[in-house]
Amino acid sequence: MTDSNLALATHELRKSYGSRLALDGLELSVPTGVVYGFLGPNGAGKTTTMRVLTGLIHADGGSIELLGRPFTGRDRQRLFDVGALVETPAFYPYLSGRDNLRALAASGAHVPAPRIDEVLDIVGLRERSGDKVSRYSLGMKQRLGIAGALLNDPKLLLLDEPSNGLDPAGIVAMRETLRHLASIGKTVFISSHLLAEVQQMADVVGIIAAGRLVREGSMKELLASEGIVRVRVQPEEIPAAAATLGRLTSPDRVSASTLGPGWISVQITPDRSSEVNRTLAETGIYASEMSGGNDLEELFLTLTAASSSTDRDGRFATIDRSAGRLPTAEVQS
Amino acid sequence: MRLFVSGLQKLTTRMATLLTFGLLAGLLVMIDLAVATTGGRGGREGGNPLALITFPGAYDLILSFLFGLGGLFAVIYGAAIAGSEWTWGTLKTAVVRGESRSRYMLATFAAIAVVLAVGLFIAFVIGVAAAAVGATIAGVGLAGIDDTAALARLPELFARGWVAITATAALGFAVATLARSQLAGIGVGIAFYFGETFAGIFLPDVVRYLPFHLSSAAVGGGSGFGGPPDAGALTVGTALVLVTVWLIGSLVVAAGFSERAEITG
Repeated sequence: MTDSNLALATHELRKSYGSRLALDGLELSVPTGVVYGFLGPNGAGKTTTMRVLTGLIHADGGSIELLGRPFTGRDRQRLFDVGALVETPAFYPYLSGRDNLRALAASGAHVPAPRIDEVLDIVGLRERSGDKVSRYSLGMKQRLGIAGALLNDPKLLLLDEPSNGLDPAGIVAMRETLRHLASIGKTVFISSHLLAEVQQMADVVGIIAAGRLVREGSMKELLASEGIVRVRVQPEEIPAAAATLGRLTSPDRVSASTLGPGWISVQITPDRSSEVNRTLAETGIYASEMSGGNDLEELFLTLTAASSSTDRDGRFATIDRSAGRLPTAEVQS
Repeated sequence: MRLFVSGLQKLTTRMATLLTFGLLAGLLVMIDLAVATTGGRGGREGGNPLALITFPGAYDLILSFLFGLGGLFAVIYGAAIAGSEWTWGTLKTAVVRGESRSRYMLATFAAIAVVLAVGLFIAFVIGVAAAAVGATIAGVGLAGIDDTAALARLPELFARGWVAITATAALGFAVATLARSQLAGIGVGIAFYFGETFAGIFLPDVVRYLPFHLSSAAVGGGSGFGGPPDAGALTVGTALVLVTVWLIGSLVVAAGFSERAEITG
């Protein structure tokens, strides 16, 4: 069965390197026309996933659907509609950037000659395209790698840590480019450990830990479901404050915070911080401090820290939602 | 065809190409000029160093040098090209574009074979020019340089030598592919070359079927300069057939391994 709304899907994808399980039944669903952020700690299986998706290695089990049709390693021509940058960009160091793209264009799907200039323009390398790649900085190589991935005007773009080596301006430009590609119907799948970057760019997020997908969904929904606002009130006001805030959300989403005496945690999106503050104020309770966090980092750490711990049978333990949290940014005081 | 043309473009601008054929031609020029300027003194007793710059015999000796020492250079060259595809990760970038791995490797090798032919031809022309200059310096004369019979044999000799050299390049290509490494491929190729030469002392009946000895036999049995010892009783025709078997076998191994390998680098 295939789902034509999905640009990429994996079902029960498994891969081992010897006795080490790299992918353990990975289930991905990447909708068409979005930027999908594929997140995971080091060794979680991100690069292995990218390798399997691009036919560099073979999965031990499970299946892949690329652009609505089943994909196996033998069906290489399916990759003609896919652009990929897996791990570090690879080039002939003695050739110029332009000649490297020409060499790359000789493989796989046919690439019209003017397309090389187009992709050089997209990544901002046209002026330096005549220089040997050995003289390129890491960021320039990364840009050239992205240019290579864009050569065949792919419907699906798979990028592994695309902002590696890019300067801030380069990161912004790349983000805009990828957002633009998604806006014209392309699907962009980026593997990254830079959570803030993914948070700014991705429409949909998948979080992988120990070879399994631990959470997947739209960024907005994920953050909405995982946001926390912490307020500090006078200790004697805690019961009343908790009751008030419980009415704002629900009582089971209000709890004592680990930040210290007087702190209450409310599971609510931080953009409602002012609403929390106002609600308390309306009942005569004034917060002395507030902090909010719905950043991806908090969600990521919570999910991956829990999923990385395993029980004796090697099965994944129940997610411990308190694990791995970092202090969150103060948004109001 | 696109891959093949691209492969040629990549090889013609590559330092390894210039170095391989530059070194081969440079050595030949140095030897020719050294022989000429010393007047052939210092050669082996009973030998005739001036033969290297005396036409028409110089043609055969130049080819013998190129296809003798060229075997070592070719195995290194083949290993360098194949190994770099893995070391630099450029095979990976082609594979993720949906390119057939075996087709990519075979097209790359086809480009190597053509570059070997062109490079050896250029080295041969340079060698002949150097021999002619040497002959003039040494006062040997150029009387035999237009010897019709010698010139008529050159295309066939060159073709046989090219097949033999291509087979040794294929060996290096296959070894580096299996090793997935430029340095490992070059190291194993060199070890194989000298190992085979050394083993020839003790196991001549076995070694004559190995690639460098077969290559030597395929170009006429002469060891030339730096090549392994004579290949025993194998005829040129038999040696050529066996060289071709080595060539095809090496390519099958390289393509087959590439097709099945997990590319993780």
